[in-house]
Amino acid sequence: MSSLIATASAAEQQQTHQTTCCYCGVGCGVTATIENNAVVAVKGRDDHPANFGRLCVKGSSLHQTQHSPDRLLKPRLHGNDVSWDEALDYSAKKFNDIIAEHGPDAVAFYLSGQLLTEDYYIANKLIKGFIGTANVDTNSRLCMASAVVAHKRAFGNDAVPGCYEDLEKTDVLILVGSNAAYAHPVTFQRIVKAKQERPQMKVVVLDPRRTPTCDIADIHIPLAPGSDAYFFNGLLSYLASHNHLDQNYIEQFTEGFEAALEIAQTQSGSVQAVAQVCDVAAPLIEQVFALFAKNEKVVTVFSQGINQSSSGVDKGNAIINCHLATGKIGKEGATPFSITGQPNAMGGREVGGLANQLAAHMGFDKQDDIDRVANFWQATNMAQKEGLKAVDMFKAVDEGKIKAIWIMATNPVVSMPDADFVKRALEKCDLVMVSEAIADTDTAKTADVLLPATTWSEKHGTVTNSERCISLQKGFLPPPGEAKHDWDIMAIFARKMGFSEGFNYVHQAEIFREHAALSALDNPRARAFDISAMADISNDQYDALEPIQWPVTAQEPKGTKRLFSDGYYFTPSSKAKFIAITARLPVQPPKSDEVIMNTGRIRDQWHTMSRTGTSANLLSHTEEPYIDIHPDDAKRLALAENELVELSNRGARYLGRVKINTAQRIGEVFAPMHWNNKYAASSRADALVNPFTDPICGQPEFKHSPVKIRPHATTWTGFLVTTKDLQPACDYWAKMTSDIGYRYRLAGVDVVDYSTWLKQQYPEVTDWQELTDSEQQHYRAAGYCNNALVVVFNAEQGKAMPQEGRWLDKQLGGELDDVTRYAILAGNEGNGGADDGAIICSCYQIGENVIKEAIVAGCHSAQALGETLKCGTNCGSCIPELNALIQQIEASV
Amino acid sequence: MNNNQASTQQKLLIVGNGMAAGRMVDELIARDPHRFSITVIGDEPHGSYNRIMLSPVLSGESTALSIIQKPAAWYAENGMRFLAGVKVVRINRAQKTVDCDNGEQVEYDHLIMATGSRPARIPAKNQDLTGVMAFRTLDDVDTILALGETAKHAIVIGGGLLGLEAAYGMAVRGIDVTLVHRSGWLLNRQLDSASGALLEQVMAHKGVRFRLSREVVSFNGNRRVESATLTGGETLPCDIAVIATGITPNAELGFEAGLEGKRGIEVNDYLATSDPAISAIGECSEHNGETFGLVEPIWQHCTSLADRLALNVRTAYKNMPVATKLKVSGVQVFSAGDWLTTDQHREVVYQDVARNIYRKLLLKNNRIVGIVFFGDVRDGQYFFELMEHGVVVTQALPQLLMGRAFCSEVPQAAASKEVAAA
Repeated sequence: MSSLIATASAAEQQQTHQTTCCYCGVGCGVTATIENNAVVAVKGRDDHPANFGRLCVKGSSLHQTQHSPDRLLKPRLHGNDVSWDEALDYSAKKFNDIIAEHGPDAVAFYLSGQLLTEDYYIANKLIKGFIGTANVDTNSRLCMASAVVAHKRAFGNDAVPGCYEDLEKTDVLILVGSNAAYAHPVTFQRIVKAKQERPQMKVVVLDPRRTPTCDIADIHIPLAPGSDAYFFNGLLSYLASHNHLDQNYIEQFTEGFEAALEIAQTQSGSVQAVAQVCDVAAPLIEQVFALFAKNEKVVTVFSQGINQSSSGVDKGNAIINCHLATGKIGKEGATPFSITGQPNAMGGREVGGLANQLAAHMGFDKQDDIDRVANFWQATNMAQKEGLKAVDMFKAVDEGKIKAIWIMATNPVVSMPDADFVKRALEKCDLVMVSEAIADTDTAKTADVLLPATTWSEKHGTVTNSERCISLQKGFLPPPGEAKHDWDIMAIFARKMGFSEGFNYVHQAEIFREHAALSALDNPRARAFDISAMADISNDQYDALEPIQWPVTAQEPKGTKRLFSDGYYFTPSSKAKFIAITARLPVQPPKSDEVIMNTGRIRDQWHTMSRTGTSANLLSHTEEPYIDIHPDDAKRLALAENELVELSNRGARYLGRVKINTAQRIGEVFAPMHWNNKYAASSRADALVNPFTDPICGQPEFKHSPVKIRPHATTWTGFLVTTKDLQPACDYWAKMTSDIGYRYRLAGVDVVDYSTWLKQQYPEVTDWQELTDSEQQHYRAAGYCNNALVVVFNAEQGKAMPQEGRWLDKQLGGELDDVTRYAILAGNEGNGGADDGAIICSCYQIGENVIKEAIVAGCHSAQALGETLKCGTNCGSCIPELNALIQQIEASV
Repeated sequence: MNNNQASTQQKLLIVGNGMAAGRMVDELIARDPHRFSITVIGDEPHGSYNRIMLSPVLSGESTALSIIQKPAAWYAENGMRFLAGVKVVRINRAQKTVDCDNGEQVEYDHLIMATGSRPARIPAKNQDLTGVMAFRTLDDVDTILALGETAKHAIVIGGGLLGLEAAYGMAVRGIDVTLVHRSGWLLNRQLDSASGALLEQVMAHKGVRFRLSREVVSFNGNRRVESATLTGGETLPCDIAVIATGITPNAELGFEAGLEGKRGIEVNDYLATSDPAISAIGECSEHNGETFGLVEPIWQHCTSLADRLALNVRTAYKNMPVATKLKVSGVQVFSAGDWLTTDQHREVVYQDVARNIYRKLLLKNNRIVGIVFFGDVRDGQYFFELMEHGVVVTQALPQLLMGRAFCSEVPQAAASKEVAAA
């Protein structure tokens, strides 16, 4: 009976919840299984329109990244644990003091696409409506800002016309600057499936790299970095000269075509001209132009390769121009499609969480909009102009113009261009507030006030994905420690600043209803973003919100798949606008001794790894920072596979392993953007990125940084397998997580005495096991605390990487017998771990266990043992022991 | 044995009945049991016993009876003559006879000198006091054990193998033992200072106290030893003082008969002395300036000489490195070849201080030239073979030092020997 009861209660403890993944802009629905207050399993939600049951490797590991040992659990003020009141009283007073003395533009918020729409809404309302500055920007600036402005210029509003289904239903899918296979894996899988079902569907990839996305491409255009606008200007010229324009559409629904075409023809009037700038064979380009021209259903997906550029807005418009000129927009399988990076970049845009937006698709360019929002909020100090965008914001921090900054849910010390500059700027800022789930991110280390925030599975609110689909990210676990929701932290802070009205929410749904009501003000047909039909949803309806694509209005209560199908745009003339694009190459061409560094994602990591880095599974795919480099460049620079290489720019260095890869163009290298000071010594690729930005939207040029390159001056290499999370004092290290502890690969430039070096890293260890070599070719050591293994260190002279066995990982923390202690330094288990036993015959080194086996096998005298094993046949001193063993075994038989 | 056979047999005389003599007769019988008429003359009363096992007898881990390999009756059973407790006083090379202290004269066609060695003397005063003794024979063991019945304090002089074994033997019998050693660390002919220090630590746990870098200046007492005064002035009480500072070859009998040699009786690669009718083996002999104290080379003396005498086969004896083993329960020592690191060596050391384990390999030209293992001597013999065969081992470092089990490619001693030969 009792066992039955136990089973029943266990089943009761297990619950499932529908939620949304917290990683990329695909926005997959997730079914999470909870047991004993922990997520024990996740699977793709079958009925979610973004993924229909699929999940990528990051999403599938969500439950493995739930228990970070580095979770921030209490507020900290200058490094000391304090109460919420203490932390926020201090911060609010400091904010007020700074504003009183220097004005509201001396403070700023820096937000994140990880925040939920409700968080974003409160941040935006507080700083723009009450503090009185628009100095609020977000890491979406690094990701989406170009597309946002391109949309606004062409459509009058920031609105993605199409939906994921269009990617499946199209006949020609052009992916530009998008490694969807890694960055949007579930969307990519949908494309793969669509192409399998309709092999006639053509896939074209425009990317300087032959990425894994090219695996399904019919045509790969390995164009020169940054030459995209020349390509699409060329396409526009081609469409005109080959009579593939949709004159009706152009006349009825657009304006500005002639000017756009004229510049396009001037710059890219022929396929040859395009081929030259793009550095791609003309026939290949013409093939793609013809595909675009001759098919009705064409989708152009563009992502960071377009956005992260000093001319990203123009590139976006060059693409949109081609779709407008052929009427390939607002129809099934025909649309330009900007795919976002972050889970809620779109939600942030909806509430206006960027310095150059207001709220609900309103802007600072219209006084009516400013007043409308001010009235709605009953704002006490409404901002009247745009604020500083990300790069300029940190510049203002550095110059002392901004004296207080509150960073939420993001890690700009790693992710911003010229990230070392950002770090220095923050270090001298009067007040740095950081809201974080993880205690020791590179940015958290710069915080005066560190506030514990909830994270995925605890946070409750909405996110919007790349196809305008609003989904609930559900909170089903209680916040750990003293962690609070971001919106709640800001609301308390607002009240402490003295804003008693306007921030008294008790449920997220109240915020959402307010947001929906604002979207409805003086709409419809004024602004694309309209969720007026949701302004009155109940708390219960909100808590059970099903995915829905905006606009959600009385006319379209179930949401809207496609925008602009009727040719109505949200511009003053209600017509879409062609933008005349003068294509530009990246700001700084490489010098003769430089290569172009491109940055991007790897498959299994998310952003700066603060969550995905804690999963041993996710880190095992790509364990160390690396660069991809063409074989010819590797040869020219005498770089060998797996050797460490050093990229440098602006006084910053990126160290990574060489991966020789024909997918790279000559003269260009690729470096992943994820690594940071928590996971590697000197591998923050973004620290090398020049702070060149798009003049219109302020998005940085992440994809094109001329850098110096040389082999790393490695003199020794090694590894640490350890229970301790440390920053080893050597020129290069990279950290990997294992189930028990960490693995570090190391490389040193300075010759060190390994033993001394190691003991400096581990002053707490006194029980050492060591292997030394007078020539310093080899060194191995293991350290124990209370008999438990805490560290294994191997070092070798030279560049060859010693191989650390995974077996070592599992020995950490254990108490080890003598044989295993040997094995630890050997680095492997040995041949099955057979133990000969204590030596009985010293002369021939015959062990007790071997002798016992021989006795059991039939050696019944010392002489017989001697004939079989040689034991006792030299000095004979072991013969009494041999006889004793024989007696012992025969007695026991 | 019939007369015919007796008349064709050569008269082989072995002087001495220690381990070398015991092994020698075994080797001869194994080759040709009827070739020689053998006479063995020994000054100890026992048949041949395993002297190496005196330490276990002292410590009580073995019995005196169990280490006697050839009781007196064995010689007669095997057709040999055995004169026990008899000492040879003179060799008459011209007549090919020897004179014994019991007045007997024994003829030989071939004479094998196997007179062994005796404890080296130390410069201390009053070594004739009762209780000041050696640790060399079963009689010595009996004496120590008899004194030990009442003795409270003992000192052992000499921190070599024998001294340590003697000290340990007495310590386990409950005697308070202090070992006095001239060098700064124990087993200084086999271990380096690091492993010597580990040994000291382990022996201290077994109840032995140490005075290193000290010598005995004088023994004090009235007829019986009561104390010993050390350099530096310290005086230690003692009822027994065992001197184990090394050995001196018993070569005088040969020298008096005109055989050549410096410290021992000089032999060539086939163990022949300067008189072709006389051979010498074991601790009384000297080969290429080396004398002997460990058992392995002596076994090689016996096989080489037996090949020559019984089979007329020339098997050259070669001086090879020898591995040292210490017979103290629970203490493992393995040392061979060079043991002190110099600038000429590449030194690779594994150390596990908490487990008292120390393993050092000394290399020259990528080959092992020295092995010092303490605490865990597994694979010692394997390393010894690699050293003997001059195998290049650097490719297998550093795994190799942990033992063969951890190497993906294990250097093979035999295989590379062939390569070297080719």
